[in-house]
Amino acid sequence: MNILIVDDSSTVRAVIKRTLGIAGVPTDDVQQAANGQEGIEALQNNPIDIVFTDINMPVMGGVEMIERIRADDALRAVPIVVVSTEGSATRIAELQALGVQGYLRKPFTPEAIRRVVDDLAEVSNENSRA
Amino acid sequence: MKTVGLDTLGEVFGEIVEQMAFMFVEAIEEGDEAVPAPSECLIAHLKFGGEFSGKLSIAVPTEMCAELAANMLGEEADDPDAIAKGTDALKELLNVLCGNLLTAFAGEDPVFDLGVPESLPFSPEDWEALKASPVTVPYIVDEYPVLLHINFGDDG
Repeated sequence: MNILIVDDSSTVRAVIKRTLGIAGVPTDDVQQAANGQEGIEALQNNPIDIVFTDINMPVMGGVEMIERIRADDALRAVPIVVVSTEGSATRIAELQALGVQGYLRKPFTPEAIRRVVDDLAEVSNENSRA
Repeated sequence: MKTVGLDTLGEVFGEIVEQMAFMFVEAIEEGDEAVPAPSECLIAHLKFGGEFSGKLSIAVPTEMCAELAANMLGEEADDPDAIAKGTDALKELLNVLCGNLLTAFAGEDPVFDLGVPESLPFSPEDWEALKASPVTVPYIVDEYPVLLHINFGDDG
């Protein structure tokens, strides 16, 4: 599975990658980006199956990155999971309206990250069958 | 409000530290002078705004940061990578604590905007001054003394 992790903290990126590994998700092909701009460049240059992204980042934040991905015909189908510390139901609804498929609230467990990946894989399989 | 708020602070802090770094939090009883100021410490601050605004701060011994990073990353505390990522790990702990604390205080409806965590070196004298504040709560995290300080208001 080709995964892109977008977060301005290299520590957080390493924690997400490690947790994916503990959850049994292959992490050999994990790409990393430090902000939304780098995230879009990584998407344009690599086949990516799922994006995990933070919201508050310098240069380009997560919301702007998501809006640009969803407006781009070549990128719009990629599943996006927001990883954030915020627990506001209002904010989560706003993100879903932007086309975010998953939300992972920090701190998260390997089981939670596995559930999100499995749910997205199921949706992707259903879409392929349709 | 203050008592309820500080109780909630301790509960959420304990849960977050255990989940993120597998470390255990103990409250220090009021008047307990057994915990001296560390010789080298760091403080991290995070401002928040929304339903209410303020600033949450955490002060820790510098050596605790590497252990925090090591536990979060599955490394040894003397691993150069854990040492390099120690300050970043402290800021991430503060970020996660603040987000979860605001939900605990205000529920899941309000939207809060969190700033970017900042860290600064902190002297033992600064430590003692912060510890004396009525809105500072001291804890022991494993064997390390930790101070949490929360201010509500725009000048937080």
